[in-house]
Amino acid sequence: MKFSMFLHVLSAMTLVGTLVLAATSVAADNHRLGYRALLWGAIPSWIVMRVAAQWVFSEEGWDEVDPEPAWIGIGFATSESTFLLIIAATVCAWRAVKRGRGDGLRTAVLVLLALVLVAYLVAIWAMTTKPT
Amino acid sequence: MDDWLLFLHVLSAFLLVITVVMYSAVALGGTLGGRATFIADRCWEVGGLGTLILGVWLALKLDEYGIFDGWIIGALVLWLVATGLGETVRKQLAEARDGGGTVTTGAVTTLHWLRTLTVLALLVLMIWKPGA
Repeated sequence: MKFSMFLHVLSAMTLVGTLVLAATSVAADNHRLGYRALLWGAIPSWIVMRVAAQWVFSEEGWDEVDPEPAWIGIGFATSESTFLLIIAATVCAWRAVKRGRGDGLRTAVLVLLALVLVAYLVAIWAMTTKPT
Repeated sequence: MDDWLLFLHVLSAFLLVITVVMYSAVALGGTLGGRATFIADRCWEVGGLGTLILGVWLALKLDEYGIFDGWIIGALVLWLVATGLGETVRKQLAEARDGGGTVTTGAVTTLHWLRTLTVLALLVLMIWKPGA
């Protein structure tokens, strides 16, 4: 049980780290580093975080609890909705690399990553304070 | 109150990992701009202070943990080691940048990976809490 939790927390921390790296790189017009941080850092971290979350969920018997606690719902809702935003940001960063300039794509990546980071702030709050 | 302390303690730990991820990009050959480096360094400082102060506060406040528990003493030692390594990496990178030389050297990269391992060991202690 502890290993699944360790994996979940570590991948969540790496996910947030790579998102901040991507945002600061894109903000500084280093689109290639931003794109690589999203593709090779954020997306794999998200997958490990989500798989480990499901592992913890099953191991701790939360799948047998009805109704599901609010903090678990917040966790699933934020993780799943933000994956689409991360994919969209990765595609925008890739297009910016191909074009060799940012313009609107740079703004799009920054807005998407800001939304994701705010959602994760809420998720971290929910996971630690566990509101019912 | 305890929930909020834990939330801020965990959030501080996320800030530490943001720095580790951003400096890992440099260690792997990426280039961080001045603003990104500034953000990484502030995350390390705020995260370091936050984890220490809030962690000690939690240890003193919660009945199930004591400040002299082996795993907490171990965490404090690892925190000191990580802080020392992080400060050395920051200074050496700043000197290399100001001097116009190569941004990463083998020694700085080694110190960075040692700092990364120390932060990982801290997370292991926080999850497993051996002896608690």
